[in-house]
Amino acid sequence: MTDQANQSRRNFLYVAAGGLGAVAAGATVVPFIGSMLPAADTLAASKTEFDVSTVEAGQLVTIQWQGKPVFVVHRTPELLKQVDGHDDKLKDANSEAIAEVQQEWMDTPEKRKYRAIKPEYLIVVASCTHLGCIPLFKPSEGRKEWGDSVPDDWAGGWHCPCHGSYYDISARVLNGSPAPHNLHVMPYQYKSDTTVVIG
Amino acid sequence: MLDKIMKTDLFAWIDRRTDAGAIIKSQLTEYPAPKNLNYMWNFGSLALLVLVLQILTGIFLVMYYKPSAEATFGGFTVAFDSVERIMRDVNFGWLIRYMHAVGASMFFVVVYMHIGRGMYYGSFKAPRELLWIIGVVILLIMQGAAFFGYLLPWGQMSFWGATVITNLFGAIPVLGEYIGQILVGGFAVGDPTLNRFFSLHYLFPLLLAAIVGGHIHALHVVHSNNPEGIDLHKPEETIPFHPYYTLKDAFGVAFFLLFYCYIVFFNPQMGGYFIEVDNYVPANNLQTPAHIAPVWYLTPWYTILRSFESKLLGVAAMGGSLAILFVLPFLCKSAVRSARYRPVYKIMVIMFFIDVIVLGYCGHSAPTATLKVVGQIATAYYFLFFFALPLLPKFEKTKPVPEGI
Ligand code: HEM
Ligand code: FES
Repeated sequence: MTDQANQSRRNFLYVAAGGLGAVAAGATVVPFIGSMLPAADTLAASKTEFDVSTVEAGQLVTIQWQGKPVFVVHRTPELLKQVDGHDDKLKDANSEAIAEVQQEWMDTPEKRKYRAIKPEYLIVVASCTHLGCIPLFKPSEGRKEWGDSVPDDWAGGWHCPCHGSYYDISARVLNGSPAPHNLHVMPYQYKSDTTVVIG
Repeated sequence: MLDKIMKTDLFAWIDRRTDAGAIIKSQLTEYPAPKNLNYMWNFGSLALLVLVLQILTGIFLVMYYKPSAEATFGGFTVAFDSVERIMRDVNFGWLIRYMHAVGASMFFVVVYMHIGRGMYYGSFKAPRELLWIIGVVILLIMQGAAFFGYLLPWGQMSFWGATVITNLFGAIPVLGEYIGQILVGGFAVGDPTLNRFFSLHYLFPLLLAAIVGGHIHALHVVHSNNPEGIDLHKPEETIPFHPYYTLKDAFGVAFFLLFYCYIVFFNPQMGGYFIEVDNYVPANNLQTPAHIAPVWYLTPWYTILRSFESKLLGVAAMGGSLAILFVLPFLCKSAVRSARYRPVYKIMVIMFFIDVIVLGYCGHSAPTATLKVVGQIATAYYFLFFFALPLLPKFEKTKPVPEGI
């Protein structure tokens, strides 16, 4: 009888000591894994200012924000026209799938289509949503200039060299691409007519 | 030679304190090895040699290498410049770096041959399942170590290769984003990434050294398989490891060094296969090279990744293609080990080797529509091979195996 009681007390002590040990070991892991997450100065979201008027009509400029590349494209009226007429070929024509592809100011169908506060200046994160390469800018329609790196009915946009994702001229991903989403849009605002603050 | 040393007083003194004599006997001079091992059995000792070479050259490289992505006056970075300094200014730096870079590729050549040997002669089957599983762990750690090491020169391929691979983890639901951040230490590959990869690149080969110890221990418990794939019972079927196989392994080493030295001294880039040309361009986070591909030894898995339209599926298939190696011993149910006596398996496994080469070729080339289809077919066969194994004994008529050797 007492033997049995002793045995069950021992078992309780084993489990309690072992359990506490496991909790302590688990708690010790936290600071080590934690130390591998982005450090405070890396997190401190730096803002980037940029003067969009320095981008010539039809030109693309890649700038840096938080260590990430960002596209600024000056879209001409012709380029803006290339946004239309292929909604059925897009995975997410209205940029609704995830939070990162939209912003509050996208409140009209127009803005959702152009994905920009000012339609002529498209500003998007330049990392392909597949595995992070920077897509190549192939703006003109048709395949004349781009050879067979783009489909026959190319409407103009981006082509990712890594695994062949396609984006249209509003950086919306085309069906059949390995990339799951449109290029991300980060928060930005215009400080003056031409100065944009990113972040 | 060895027996003379073992008769000295000094050895006796050590032996009384370590039992070294018994270890040498049981592991070398009286360790029974099958008498019919062919040259495919040389690759294990070669792998050990290359591991030692990698650790040795690595330790000397670290004396000059600087893991920092900070920009220098030349417009490059501290890390890139320190590698160029090793190549140009450090005495024999070029030799040590080329030995290390070529060694990485040769490590995979040797280990892939070693694994192929195991698959062909059924070495993974009972009682060597755990030995095989430890081997697969070694393979994964090797791939990790090579991947971390490739970032260190901070060239274009270093940077974009690391970007693509760390982004892979983003496909994992829920946790993916955090795993990615833990790997790169920020929101994009950068200085924190370089530092932690350097730390891990030092750690992994030391882990390897320990695990290889376990691998060899496991081998010495169950003993070597042989080309006939049969169990040995009679003493006259075996010969002592030393001097017979130490000498044969030494011959293999000499032969291997011939190739290794030719590449190190005359062709260290190996036409862009061992050191990719784009990696002599300093990393630029604003421009992806026109064509990015991993180094040759990772391209088969890269093709499997690219063969799926969905990112999650691609990542799962790539992980699965490696993970399935763990369960190979349990998928393959045939009582006969060696492909010599398994006509259907023999064809299947040779096709599997060719298939992996095709996968590697597709992964190395720029993506085109044709290659994509070829890659998808090759991916399908890769998995088909494993899934067909459990069914194989139902219709494969094996040939009678010999009684002994
Ligand atoms: C650093 C890498 C490795 C080293 C240094 C190493 C070393 C060795 C050595 C010295 C042997 C005995 C000699 C021989 O049979 O060739 C051996 C046997 C073996 N290894 Fe490895 N190995 C490595 C990686 C691997 C990998 C990646 C696998 C499989 C995925 C593997 C599977 C085996 C098997 C199954 C045997 C027993 C072979 C037999 O007796 O038929 N090894 N290894
Ligand atoms: S990274 Fe762009 S398609 Fe894979």
